[in-house]
Amino acid sequence: MESMEIDKKSFWYSEWSFPILVGLMSAGVFAGTHMYYQYGVGAFNEVAIVAMLKAGMDGGSYGAAAAFGASFLFARILEGSLVGILDLGGSILTGVGIGIPAILLSVGIKAPITNFSFAIATGLVLGLAIGGIITLVRKYTINQSKASFGADVMMGAGNSSGRFLGPLILISAATASIPIGIGSIIGAVIFYLWKKPIAGGAILGAMVLGAFFPISLK
Amino acid sequence: MTFVLILLKSILIGGLVGFAAGMGAARMFNAPNVQALGAFRTLGEMNACEGDPASHFSFGLGFFFNAWASTVGAGAFTQDITHRVIPNWATAALLMRNKKIEETMHNPKKMAFASAIIGMVVVVFLNTTASAIPKSLQITAVKVLVPAAELLINIVMPIIFWLAAIDAGKRSGLWATVFGGLSAMIMGNAVPGVVLGILIGKGVDELGWVKLTKVMFTVIIVLFVLSAFFRGFDVQMIESFKLPVPNWLDSLHGLFNVK
Repeated sequence: MESMEIDKKSFWYSEWSFPILVGLMSAGVFAGTHMYYQYGVGAFNEVAIVAMLKAGMDGGSYGAAAAFGASFLFARILEGSLVGILDLGGSILTGVGIGIPAILLSVGIKAPITNFSFAIATGLVLGLAIGGIITLVRKYTINQSKASFGADVMMGAGNSSGRFLGPLILISAATASIPIGIGSIIGAVIFYLWKKPIAGGAILGAMVLGAFFPISLK
Repeated sequence: MTFVLILLKSILIGGLVGFAAGMGAARMFNAPNVQALGAFRTLGEMNACEGDPASHFSFGLGFFFNAWASTVGAGAFTQDITHRVIPNWATAALLMRNKKIEETMHNPKKMAFASAIIGMVVVVFLNTTASAIPKSLQITAVKVLVPAAELLINIVMPIIFWLAAIDAGKRSGLWATVFGGLSAMIMGNAVPGVVLGILIGKGVDELGWVKLTKVMFTVIIVLFVLSAFFRGFDVQMIESFKLPVPNWLDSLHGLFNVK
């Protein structure tokens, strides 16, 4: 499957380094939530999801953020260990970044979120735990057997889905406005003749024409 | 003083997140032999750029404008910073010097360090810039990229995974259809279900119904039941069939409701 020899014992590819990897990510994301709590900027998530946390911060209930974040985290841990890719958005950004802070704040524990060093440490410990659980689950499932569990099928599908993005951007630009559509066509054609994937050209073309012929958001 | 504090914290946060995002993304190309941290959409999009630095860079740039707008407006980076901007820009930077994706984009060590640097720059930039970006650019990015990405994630990816599952054999096709449909209803996107269907279908093809596949099957069922419960799907379903919601279920939900 790989064209290169992979040293599974080295830090960069091993099972044991995965909890560390998740720990570092969680530390940064949790600290990002600290930034948002303290300075109102810096949460690593979509506006709609951050808004749930904001509702709690403004005196409302943390219930929505807590339930949403925690259920996502749980589902993604199971999926991630079986599939081999832990979904970053659901598990860390939403689970650790929004769900867990919301649970802590809802029961009145503020220190891990208000104190920067404490936030880094909390995130690190949470990430190590999540990564550890996944490594453990894998040990008793995937690594026990030689079966591929259809990984080749999934990789093939994952690879081919990316190809759809170029045409999708063109269609989306065409519906945004006429100048943006034309810009996106020109950009895509240039990239195609230049033997580059058309997605990049379509975006750039759309943005250039969009700068000259602005559209409104609604 | 606050500015310096934000600057220093941002450098640390950007470094941590960047390092992990780059390493996790590069490991995806070696999954499932190596456990990775990322997303199927990131994997697909990074492959779509076909190892061309300009494509990786402009793809990241489009989402960067969107993220910047969202940060200036609401303080939220969007998930695109870790999913799209950092990995694609790190790849672009590495590809400038070496065209072989096996030695750059697929290499966790190089990606980790390149991403750490880009992460620092991006997070510092987003957290410190108060001035808004040109409004017209930001709106174009939102209007063009967001619907395209939504179509890709909600429609195209499920279909491609689904068809791949059907082509891969009767068992994976069957379970992908069952779990994919359920997952579309319960989780809001069919991809996780289809992936689990391929997993169990091919697992049984290769091993038969042994202890391992039975345990996996049970875990998948538990996953669906719990997701349904925590997203309130169970109550919605009972109500949709015009049946009364039993009292014990209502009180069970009340028990887990964090106030």
